[in-house]
Amino acid sequence: RVSSDGKPPKFQPPPKPVIIDKKTQKEETRFLSPEFIPPRGRTDPLKYYMERKDMIQRRKVFNIPEFYVGHVLAVTTADPHASDKSKRFVGICIQRGGKGLGATFVLRNVIEDQGVEICYELYSPRIQALEVLKLEKRLDENLMYLRDALPEYSTFDVNMKPVPRMDHEEIPVNKLQVRMKPKPWSKRWERPKYNIKGIKFELPEHKMKAAEKWSQPWLEFDMLREYDTSKIEAKIRKELSEELEK
Amino acid sequence: MMPIWTKSGEKHAVTLLKVQDCHVLRYVSKEESGGKTAKLLVGGKNVSPFSKRESAHEIFKEAGVPLKQKVTTFNVTDDAIIKPGTPLYAAHFRPGQFVDVTAKTIGKGFQGVMKRWGFKGQPASHGQTKTHRRPGAISTNKASKVYRGTKMPGKMGNIYRTSFGLKVWRINTKHDIIYVNGSVPGHTNCLVKVKDSKLPTYKDCNKNPPFPTFFADGDEELPEDLFDEEIFQFTDPSVTFA
Repeated sequence: RVSSDGKPPKFQPPPKPVIIDKKTQKEETRFLSPEFIPPRGRTDPLKYYMERKDMIQRRKVFNIPEFYVGHVLAVTTADPHASDKSKRFVGICIQRGGKGLGATFVLRNVIEDQGVEICYELYSPRIQALEVLKLEKRLDENLMYLRDALPEYSTFDVNMKPVPRMDHEEIPVNKLQVRMKPKPWSKRWERPKYNIKGIKFELPEHKMKAAEKWSQPWLEFDMLREYDTSKIEAKIRKELSEELEK
Repeated sequence: MMPIWTKSGEKHAVTLLKVQDCHVLRYVSKEESGGKTAKLLVGGKNVSPFSKRESAHEIFKEAGVPLKQKVTTFNVTDDAIIKPGTPLYAAHFRPGQFVDVTAKTIGKGFQGVMKRWGFKGQPASHGQTKTHRRPGAISTNKASKVYRGTKMPGKMGNIYRTSFGLKVWRINTKHDIIYVNGSVPGHTNCLVKVKDSKLPTYKDCNKNPPFPTFFADGDEELPEDLFDEEIFQFTDPSVTFA
């Protein structure tokens, strides 16, 4: 190799091999239920440790499957007033809230033209069975806008058979754009604060532009709002895997 | 605060209280204190010796115990006297007992009469001139004075208050945590005083508590978690109604 100056060419070390450890990558991206991540605050971490111990104990006895917002679930709860002493409800999960033992999820379904939403507690001892019937993620984390969408998007057959899951890898994302009932809605879903991608807005252009007035573009650069959970998540994942193997 | 479920599926909210380095500091006899019963001074939560002045170090030196952030008195009968320097643990209480919890409430600063005393204020419109959150009248015409103790704006909070009759659901002996029913005055991680309940309904509720206290170096070996009979433990399967 001849360099332009006539001097001997500078020693260039060979490129370092990039080692992609698939096992650790898989560990990092494995599902961690959102209620395990402690919220930001000044509470003693001992309190979250005690709650996590109880949550792990419950998970050892009762299987809580991995599910996201947008999955269709069937929940069987114990009810002292029902004839069979148990109630079964099928619905799409529209929201997962709460941290720790009080974690909840809201299931929505339309039964005989009446929209029904039931908020269940994940760790309540009344829940006897929790089956995932259809696995699909949606474009948003919060599907509350289904209340103002046409009822066909919230109806699910009560006797639906569980859809068999093909791969153990990806959960399909349903890029469905939902059509809405005419305005007024319960919330102004076109405003940028809700950041909804799953609605097909059929509003005129000037209304969509007027909604942009409420956008707060500085929020994504606000450093005080950042809450980096990667290290906390890694610790909790390690703790979980150790405890569940016992 | 955390949820807790009973065997019948009902949910109760529970506050976690940690017993952090509690030691008995001094025994004050009935004649010395001038009260009706003997007193025991108890201190909690270790703190650096520079946070208190030298004259306050004496009690802790006598007892042979590191400096404590808070010192409280408990009125004790003569058969329940404990030697100064003994540590106190969460196992002093048992599940099923009823307990009073005292703490300083969250300080709200100088507050107006609507927040402090719950006055209704005045309407927002219909001609009110500069009067929406004011107290209105403070006394009558005939009195021709303002009585002592009239509710007026002032500093709210940061005073000692007690919640009575709270049930103890669970005790963790490894981390010294008491799970107490309902809410407790004070902010998170504040110092709190826990006593046996003085309410007459719970007078007979303490069946064989550890008397005078639970000694760690004794023969008793307690399991890590002590539960009340009605609590749903997560090791059991889900609740079914027969």
